[in-house]
Amino acid sequence: MDEEYDAIVLGTGLKECIISGMLSVSGKKVLHVDRNKYYGGESASICPLEELFTKFGANAPDESYGRGRDWNVDLIPKFLMANGSLVKLLIHTGVTRYLEFKSVEGSYVFKGGKIAKVPVDQKEALASDLMGMFEKRRFRNFLTYVQDFMQDDPKTWKDFDPTTQNMTALYEKFGLDKNTQDFTGHALALYRDDDYLNRPALDTITRIKLYSDSLAKYGKSPYLYPMYGLGELPQGFARLSAIYGGTYMLDKPIDEIVLGEGGRAVGVRSGNEIAKCKQIYCDPTYVPDRVRKKGKVIRCICLLDHPISNTKDALSTQIIIPQKQVGRNSDIYVSLVSHTHQVAAKGWFIGMVSTTVETDNPENEIKPGLDLLGPVRQKFVSVSDYYEPIDDGLQSQIFISQSYDATSHFESTCLDVLDIFKRGTGEEFDFSKIKRDLDLEEQ
Amino acid sequence: MAMVKVPEQKVILCGEYGVGKSSIFRRFTNNTFVTATDRKSTLGLDNFDKIYRIGDRNIKLQLWDTGGMERVASITSSYYKFSEAAILVFSLDNPSSFHTLSQHLLDIVTYAETAKIFLCGNKTDLVTEPPQISDAEIESFCEQCHSLITNTYRISCKTNEGIEEMFTDIAYQLVNSNRARLELQSMEKHGFKITQSTEELSDDSCLC
Repeated sequence: MDEEYDAIVLGTGLKECIISGMLSVSGKKVLHVDRNKYYGGESASICPLEELFTKFGANAPDESYGRGRDWNVDLIPKFLMANGSLVKLLIHTGVTRYLEFKSVEGSYVFKGGKIAKVPVDQKEALASDLMGMFEKRRFRNFLTYVQDFMQDDPKTWKDFDPTTQNMTALYEKFGLDKNTQDFTGHALALYRDDDYLNRPALDTITRIKLYSDSLAKYGKSPYLYPMYGLGELPQGFARLSAIYGGTYMLDKPIDEIVLGEGGRAVGVRSGNEIAKCKQIYCDPTYVPDRVRKKGKVIRCICLLDHPISNTKDALSTQIIIPQKQVGRNSDIYVSLVSHTHQVAAKGWFIGMVSTTVETDNPENEIKPGLDLLGPVRQKFVSVSDYYEPIDDGLQSQIFISQSYDATSHFESTCLDVLDIFKRGTGEEFDFSKIKRDLDLEEQ
Repeated sequence: MAMVKVPEQKVILCGEYGVGKSSIFRRFTNNTFVTATDRKSTLGLDNFDKIYRIGDRNIKLQLWDTGGMERVASITSSYYKFSEAAILVFSLDNPSSFHTLSQHLLDIVTYAETAKIFLCGNKTDLVTEPPQISDAEIESFCEQCHSLITNTYRISCKTNEGIEEMFTDIAYQLVNSNRARLELQSMEKHGFKITQSTEELSDDSCLC
């Protein structure tokens, strides 16, 4: 450990592993440390099942749960958008060769007490029972507009300037009612709240396009999920970092960040050992005095022995409960994965309900989500604080990631990572630096 | 893209640091040998495909190297996932690398339950008389493993002894055991890899 590095990365959560991989690939000498014995931190998938029960102080699972080793339970539920930034990062870095994926079978939205399939193309829009007949036609026109929209071709903007006019104005242009706005903004554009209505429409249009482009990739839904759970993702990027020369140390407590002149980080201390460096990248748990609390997220892991009703017995699904449907300010997300992803024993399902906490009784807030799951065999609830760094790290050269938010996908995760990389290195990540083994192999 | 796909068989190298896993990998990829550990030659490369013809069938062995992760930390569990075979490597001149095999074997059966396991003693060129690790010791290890070990090889990456024979035999063993299973394989059971679409490839000029 007593060596000098360009960068030391603390914590092996997904964000830190992506950063570590990007830095190693860019030719930096990287030391990557975790205080835990395992890779992944909060983004690990817990295996075996007994460990999950112990973690939450529950009695050991009985025989009906099958072999404990067949379970890999995520602590933070998320899906990948098939055409989203994480998939692009996976492809460009070649980390995709370590993983296999399955398409999530269904995407649903909650309306008026029941769930309905999210309509994404014109045909589905016309068949959907989410809207009345005239509204369907207006929504179809809106979808056509979004599909034909091209950012670099103002002719496709059709007398509407999405860079200055807001989303409310675009909804009004097509005469969409509040109901349709609700599922468009929350189930297609995947916003957590309604702030987007007053911002320029361009971002929303881009998000809806991401949804439909992702859907076009593999079919059934725009989401992908990795075999053996999300914990495979940080491991894949850690491996990338290692094969480009990164050094890994697990089970290594960090006692102190050593500061030099002007409060700049110059190393980290673990016991009597000091590793020197020019920069530090870490998650909030390693620097409690350099982050502030931004909010709370509640996540509830539910083990089920049946699929969710009204989803055609899908082995994986996502259901979004838009805030307004249940009188809230932020959406509730329900996700389901199962034995088909090698994350549960045969016949078992893992449901997850999560949202941003708004009251003193967070468990009560997720009730509408839990009700959709039906009978739950075992439930594990966690409420965690959500942190963000107090500064941009340029002065201290300590670059801190934000905690994982309640969103149901990885888009905000990737934005944070790319932003941290840019602040730390002063340049955008150059994707061409990576060898293209994968492509060569296919020729 | 609509070609008949030769099934890939992931084969992983396991064993202590310094027993010659990367040397085996280097022999497999470009048939070279270096004495000093020259990390640069494998930097960024951790798996390589090679097609073997066994009887009337082609089989693609995809050999994986650890990337040196076992130097200080442990190897990620995802290294083992999806592997069809594991080569458990020890150094014939280093008894301690032989005596720690059981730990590596345990990792393989934990994370890659269905993988066939092959035992490989490297560095035959450094074996003295009497040998540092006797045949009886190796045999009794295999017995203790309740026939988990499919076959045993002795090789030397330095002299290139026995290496091609080892991979050909592994290919042969996999073809035989997989013959039935490969035909039953369906997309329903398995996930898929995400790859760049051809459209994205074509507008990339640096591919040559």
